[in-house]
Amino acid sequence: MGSLLDTFTTELRRGTLTLAVLSQLRTPQYGYSLVQRLEDAGVAIEQSTLYPLLRRLEKQELVTSSWDTTESRPRKYYVLSDHGIKVYKQLKDEWKKMTLELKSLLQGDENIESD
Amino acid sequence: MNLIKVYVHEVTKRLPAKTRDDIALELKSTIEDMLPENYSEADVKDALSKLGNPAVLAASYRDTPMYLIGPNLYDIYILTMKRVIPWAILISICIHIFENIVFFSGKEAILSVAIKSVWIIIGNVINVLIQVFFWFTIVFVFVERVGLSNSDLPNKKKRMIWTPEDLKYVVIIPKKKAISKGDVVFGFIWTAIWSIAYFNADHLVGIYQSIDGNGLQFVMPLFNQDTLLLYWPFIVIFIILEAGLIVYKWKAAQWTMKLATANAIIHGLSAVTFIVIASNPNLLNEAIIPYTAQLFETTSSAAANSMEWIWRVIVASFVVTTMIEIFESYRKARIR
Repeated sequence: MGSLLDTFTTELRRGTLTLAVLSQLRTPQYGYSLVQRLEDAGVAIEQSTLYPLLRRLEKQELVTSSWDTTESRPRKYYVLSDHGIKVYKQLKDEWKKMTLELKSLLQGDENIESD
Repeated sequence: MNLIKVYVHEVTKRLPAKTRDDIALELKSTIEDMLPENYSEADVKDALSKLGNPAVLAASYRDTPMYLIGPNLYDIYILTMKRVIPWAILISICIHIFENIVFFSGKEAILSVAIKSVWIIIGNVINVLIQVFFWFTIVFVFVERVGLSNSDLPNKKKRMIWTPEDLKYVVIIPKKKAISKGDVVFGFIWTAIWSIAYFNADHLVGIYQSIDGNGLQFVMPLFNQDTLLLYWPFIVIFIILEAGLIVYKWKAAQWTMKLATANAIIHGLSAVTFIVIASNPNLLNEAIIPYTAQLFETTSSAAANSMEWIWRVIVASFVVTTMIEIFESYRKARIR
């Protein structure tokens, strides 16, 4: 039972992950700063998932990357591309629509339970 | 410091060479970001355990699929296999039989060649199956990797523009009426066997004996080949008709009145021809009778008598089987 719940939860999380990451990349971020921002917002993310995800987003041309070597250690910064901004906005609208739909479904369910 | 280097190496050694340096640099700076100033080895271990098993991390960097044949191709892969395998088996059997007939030296008895052939054919079929499975899988794995886009696949295309209209073209064949592919193939093999047996009866159909344990030797033919071959034009006509009937059955895939009638005419006529040939008094090889009389230690007339009875039973059972088959085909054709 517990492991089944874990599977579902992981699936739900995985679906929202791309949106969560895209939302934080309107300003340039490097790997660890992104982890901290997400953690501050309460979004737990495996670091071993995040770094490969960033590379995949880059390959899909949603983000661009650049190396900053001016500081004490070199850091790779990621930021949304124009295409990425467009996709992010559409995805955000989808998400809002979905949460509304789901909310009404879940509310209906709670009403039945309280009857 | 050393631990970080080893960890980064453990990850990047599993990655394609061209991405290695970039990922190594990023990973190293990320790990250092995670550490406090003046960190201890315990801090490093803590950070590395957050990143987890290097093999798992490397696997998530890789974007080639972690399966040989994915869900996009799986359906069409299985479908191809199902279509190809029966043909591969049939063709390899046919080639082997053909080879044996062409290269038949006549030194060995045909029956013992046939028994040996069965084993060789089984081996060949297994070999062909392994080859087919291997090569088709390789091709599909290649297509999976190279990434034919979904729309390039005929099956996907068909699925995309599917409309309920398509249902009108689907013919559902009731199981009771159906002619299975197995029946058709069996009919084909049966026709091939009796035609080969007919034209080679002088060294195929006859009495075999194991002499000195040296395998089966052909002693004498059962029939007078000259008498048998008097009827060859009829036999050729029946082979052609039977082949046509088999193709018709394959296409129709179910019994219809037309098919049952064609079947009844062809099989009825072939039964009549069989009776005519069988009742030719010169058909049986004269030498058979003294040979069997000696074998079973009776008189020649008793042997001839029992031979005739056996022959009658064979002819009668052939006729009865044909009648049952014709009757059954009409019964199936009438099912709605």
